[in-house]
Amino acid sequence: MAHAFRPRPGGEVACRLESEEKAIISQVAQEVGELIRHDLDLREDAEPVREAAGSADPLERLEAEYASRTPRSPRDSAVSRLFPAASEDPAVAEELRRLGQADLAEQKLEDLGALVRTLDGSGPGSSEISIDEDAVPGWLRGLTDMRLVLADRLQITQDGDFETLQMLQQIGERVPEAQPVEDEDDQVAGSDVVAAVYELLTWLQESLLRAIEDY
Amino acid sequence: MIQPRSARKEDAVEGHDPAIDPDRTSRPVGVLDPEEDSLLEGVDDGPWQTVVWNDPVNLQSYVVHVFRTYFGFSRSRAHQLMIQVHEQGRAVVSRGSRERVESDVQAMHSFGLRATLERTEED
Repeated sequence: MAHAFRPRPGGEVACRLESEEKAIISQVAQEVGELIRHDLDLREDAEPVREAAGSADPLERLEAEYASRTPRSPRDSAVSRLFPAASEDPAVAEELRRLGQADLAEQKLEDLGALVRTLDGSGPGSSEISIDEDAVPGWLRGLTDMRLVLADRLQITQDGDFETLQMLQQIGERVPEAQPVEDEDDQVAGSDVVAAVYELLTWLQESLLRAIEDY
Repeated sequence: MIQPRSARKEDAVEGHDPAIDPDRTSRPVGVLDPEEDSLLEGVDDGPWQTVVWNDPVNLQSYVVHVFRTYFGFSRSRAHQLMIQVHEQGRAVVSRGSRERVESDVQAMHSFGLRATLERTEED
């Protein structure tokens, strides 16, 4: 059972997580990072672009320059939520995406990466996860991005949707015949797990916010 | 937005004004007068404004935290703005030059909040 974040002397906060909890949180963080990279067509190493930029072929150079300046708009609904339009005017939104999306993506990937490193670096088994004061904002942002992606997959679109989902699951547990038919592929079968992880992350973020309340 | 599961005293909002970031050049809405009734009155800082929109995922306590730490709002002002977002669907959280507001919107996106910029007269 996970233990909530608590403030510790020296400005650190710490929580205790079980091995499975650490593994699943780290996995979701990595998957969210991969989703962002894939959807926005970001490479982990930008080598090919750099090579093309140094190419003798002027067209290739131009293309490389253009590619590095024009970020791809998100196509995945969850990635769209992480990189929302900055204006209701599509032309302005497009311009701001060009100016800011690459930096925003870099920050999000950095936050998720730091979270993964802390979790994976805590060793096997149940362990205490302690976070420096400086690392807290990145954890809060990373947990938020993970929750936003899971919420998109759970189709939480309005206030109260998660509560409704929980209620339906409880009814499903009490009345086994009410389980959805299996032909809806693993989207439905997996949604219980997704909902449980979403709840764990919500609880963890809430406890982190409470632990830093007096900062 | 999501309320904390265990009922918490949200009235831990007694005036406790953290220092405002001296590097900031735009002023957060209403920060000059925390007692101002309307969140929009008396603020004429520029032609552009940052709007934060409601969403069903972000925790109320997180939104308050973001408003406090990024804009330097007092706890009570941050709470008021969060409630406005939650109940009215949106709230104006800063005004300033286009450049300043662009960077506020980008910051809100980095925190996972939905935000847009618009001209002040649209509100």
